[in-house]
Amino acid sequence: MGILLKFEERRISSWIAAISPYGGIPLAFLVAAVIMQCSGIAPLAGFTSFFEGAVLNPTGLAVSLARSTAFLFMAVGIGLSFKANVLNIGAEGQYLMGAIAATAIAMVTQDSLPLIISLAFCLLGAAAIGALWASVAGYLRAYMGVNEIITTVMMNILAFKILQWLLRGPLKNPASQQWPMSPPLKTSIAELVPGTTLNAGFILALLISIWTYFLLYRTVQGYKIRVVGSNPSAATYGGINVRRTMVYAIMYSGALAGLAGAVDVLGVFHFLYEGISIGLGYTSVVVALIGKTDPLLIVPASILFGITYNGFTYMQSALGVPYTLSKSVEGMIYLFILLIDVLTRYRIKVIVK
Amino acid sequence: MGNTAIVEMKGITKRFPGVLALNKVDFNIHKGEIVALLGENGAGKTTLMNILYGLYVPDEGEILVDGVRAHISSPTDAIKLGINMVHQQFMLIEEFTALENIVLGSKLVGATLNYRIAVEEIKKLTHELGFNIPLTKKVKELSAGEKQRVEIVKALVRRARVLILDEPTSVLTPQEVRELFKLLRRLKQAGVSVVFISHKLNEVMDIADRIVVLRRGRKVGEVDGASANPILLAEMMVGKEVLFSLKKPDVGPREEVLTIRDLTVLSDEGLPAVKNVFLRVRKGEIVGLAGVAGNGQKELAEAIYGLRKPVSGQILLNGTDVTNIPIKERLKLGLSYIPQNRLIYGVAGYMSLAENILIDRVEENKFAKSGKFLLRLINIGQVLRYSEELIKKYEIVAPGPQVKARTLSGGNLQRLILARELERSPNLIIAEEPTAGLDVKATEYVRQTLLDIKARGVGVLLVSGDLTEIFQLSDKIAVMHGGEIVGVFKAGEVSEEIGLYMMGIERMGREEVMRKWESC
Repeated sequence: MGILLKFEERRISSWIAAISPYGGIPLAFLVAAVIMQCSGIAPLAGFTSFFEGAVLNPTGLAVSLARSTAFLFMAVGIGLSFKANVLNIGAEGQYLMGAIAATAIAMVTQDSLPLIISLAFCLLGAAAIGALWASVAGYLRAYMGVNEIITTVMMNILAFKILQWLLRGPLKNPASQQWPMSPPLKTSIAELVPGTTLNAGFILALLISIWTYFLLYRTVQGYKIRVVGSNPSAATYGGINVRRTMVYAIMYSGALAGLAGAVDVLGVFHFLYEGISIGLGYTSVVVALIGKTDPLLIVPASILFGITYNGFTYMQSALGVPYTLSKSVEGMIYLFILLIDVLTRYRIKVIVK
Repeated sequence: MGNTAIVEMKGITKRFPGVLALNKVDFNIHKGEIVALLGENGAGKTTLMNILYGLYVPDEGEILVDGVRAHISSPTDAIKLGINMVHQQFMLIEEFTALENIVLGSKLVGATLNYRIAVEEIKKLTHELGFNIPLTKKVKELSAGEKQRVEIVKALVRRARVLILDEPTSVLTPQEVRELFKLLRRLKQAGVSVVFISHKLNEVMDIADRIVVLRRGRKVGEVDGASANPILLAEMMVGKEVLFSLKKPDVGPREEVLTIRDLTVLSDEGLPAVKNVFLRVRKGEIVGLAGVAGNGQKELAEAIYGLRKPVSGQILLNGTDVTNIPIKERLKLGLSYIPQNRLIYGVAGYMSLAENILIDRVEENKFAKSGKFLLRLINIGQVLRYSEELIKKYEIVAPGPQVKARTLSGGNLQRLILARELERSPNLIIAEEPTAGLDVKATEYVRQTLLDIKARGVGVLLVSGDLTEIFQLSDKIAVMHGGEIVGVFKAGEVSEEIGLYMMGIERMGREEVMRKWESC
C-alpha cells in the first residue's frame, strides 16, 4: 500500500495563469483571521489597520511602493536569470554588495564631487559590484558545473560577513560609538513624495522592468538567453555560446540586485546598517516566480509584496501585534499564493496502490 | 493457425486531446500466429497495442481474452493474462546483468536470491528456441540484438502467450533481423502468438501470417501474409500511390567540400571512438555513412560540426581548416546539421516556429538591426514574414509562425528543421538519421529534398542506420565499424553484404580504403 500524488499539467490560458496566484490573498487573510482571533486580536481591526497603513493613506501607500522598489529590481533580475535556466538565489548577497559599494563610493565622493555625479558613480559602482559578485557563481556554474543555488547562497553568507566587518571597520561611523553603522550619507536619491521614503528609485525600477522586457523579447542577446534557457542543446547546435550567455544572464541579475541595494541605502535609509536586508533577496525569488519570471508581470507582484510587507509592519506598531505573529501571517500569504499557483497549473491526483 | 482467438479487441476507440487516435478498431490474435500491424507513423499501431498492454484505457470498445471480458488497466494485469510487450526503446536496466534483468519482478528467484533454478529454466528455454544469451554480462555491454533477446526471454519466463514487438527491427542489422525472424518462427511453433508492429513492407510480408493495416486510426485492410501484394499494401497504408524509387541526379566530378584527414576523436568515456578516419565529400555528392549505432558515427558527426574536439587529425571545410574553430565560425562557412534527435537538439520546443527558425541565424544582418550587444535588436516583422514564407515553401502544417514548435508532428518538425538548415544556403549538410520516426510521406519528402539540394551542388554526409535510405540516396557509401571506416563503395557496387562490414566480419585494409576514396 502506498499513496502517490501525481501532478498533471493543465491547459490554461496565460492570462489565468498570470492572475490566479492573487487568489491566495483572501484565503491567507481568512486563515490569518482565525489565528488572530485565537491570539486575542480582533481580526477586523487588524485588517483595517493593515489596509489603512499600507494602501488607503497616501503616505502609507508611498512607503509600500518604496518597499516594493527593491523587490522589483531584484525580482526582474532573478526572472531574467531563470529565463536562462540559471537559478540565482544570490540576490540577497548581491544586494548587500551593492549597498556596501554605494555607501563606500558616497563616503569617498560626496564631499569632493557634485552630489548628482557622486550619485551616478554610486549607482554604477553598485551595479558593477553586484554583477561581479554574481559572476563568480555564474562562472562556476557555466564552466565547471557547480550548482549555482549552493554557491549563490554561500556567497550571500559571505556578503553578510563582509558587511558586518566593514560596519565595524572602514565604513563605521565614528560617532555611533558601539553601533555598527555607517555615517549618514549626503549623496541621496530624490524623494518622489516629500516626507516619505518613496524615491526616484521606484521610477528607475519601473523603467528597468520595461527595458528588460524589451531586452528579452526584442534583442539578439535576450533571444539567446531564452534559447539557452529553453533548450541548451539546441542553442549549442545553433552556434550560441551557452556558457557565456549564462554568465551574462546572472551578471545582469546581479547588477539589478546591486542597484536595489544602492537605492535602499541612498533613497530610503541614508546610511548603511546590518539589518538593511533580512531576507529581501530571498523574498524576491518568490516575487519573481509569482510574476512568472516575466519582467512586466513582476511589477504587480512586487507592489503586492511591498504592500504586504509594509502593512504588517504597520499593524505591528499600530495594534501591538507581536512581530512573530505578523511575520507568520505574512509568510502564510506567500504560501497561499504559491499554493493557488500550483493548483491552477496542475491537477493533482491521489493514487492509492 | 488455430481458430480460437485468444485475444479479441472489439470496436476500440481512443481519443487524445484534439486527435481521434483509434476509431472503432477490431483486432484479433489467434493461438500460434504471427500477425503484423502495419501502418504509417501515427496510424495508431502502437496506441492499439498499448491499450492491450494496459498502458492506455480505451474510450470505447471491449477486450476479450479467452472469450471472457477482460479489464486491463495496467501492464501488471496484462502480464497476468499472458500478454507481454517489447517496446521500441528497451526497458532494461543497463547496469544489471542479463540474468538480473530477466528475473526482475518474476517469480523465478525467491527472496533469498537463489539464481540456480532461474538459470536452469532460462537455459532450457533458450536451448529449445535455439539461441544463447550471455546471462552474466551487463546489459550495457550487449548489442541491440542481444538486448532484444533478453527482452523476449524476460517475457517468456513470465509465461507470455502473446508477445507484442514494437518496431523490433529498427535497431538491428540485416543479419540480426534474420536471426530474429528465425526465433519468431520457433516461438510460433511453440504456440506463442506474436504481434509484429512495423511500417516496413518487406519485413512484414516476410514474417507475417496475417497483416492488418491501419491508417489514421482506422482499420483499412486485413490480408493473408502469403498472398499480400506490396503495391496494394502500400496503397492501403498511405492512401495514395507511393513512389518506390527516387531519381538520383548525377552531378559530375567536383571539388571537395569536406576533407577529413587522419581524424581521431574520443568518446564521452575518453576512449577513442573515431580512429584515424579519412573521409571526403564533394560538392553535389551524397556520401552515406552506414553502420550499427554506436560505432563512432555520432562522434564523427559531432567533431565535424564542432561539438566535440578531435585529439588529432584535420577537418577541412571548403579548403579552410576548421578543426579547432567554434561552431559559430563553421556555420558562417556554410555548414548545416540535421540532428538525429529533433526535439532535443533540433528545436526549442517551448519557443515559436519563428524563433526556432532564428536559432542559428540570429546574428545575420537580415534579422538583426545594427547596434551592439544589449542594443542589438531583432527585426521581428522581418522574422515573421520570412517564417511565413518558409512555412508555405516547405508545406509545414501549422496555424502560423507563432505556435510553439512542440505542437508539431515529427514530420512537420523535420520540415521546419530542413527549412532552417537549407535556407541558409549551406555548402555541406550533415544529415543524421533524417527520416527516423517519420511516416512514408514525410520520409519521401525529406529524401527528395536531400536529392534536390545535392542537385544544387551541396555536399551531403548522410549518417543513417536505415540501409534502404543509404542505398536510395548515396553516391558513395562508407561503412563504419569500431570507429574505423572498414569499407568504401560506389553506389551499386554493394548490396546486402554491406551488413557483413557493418558487423565487422568483413573489412577492407587501410590501403584499400584510401584507394577507394581516390578511385570513386
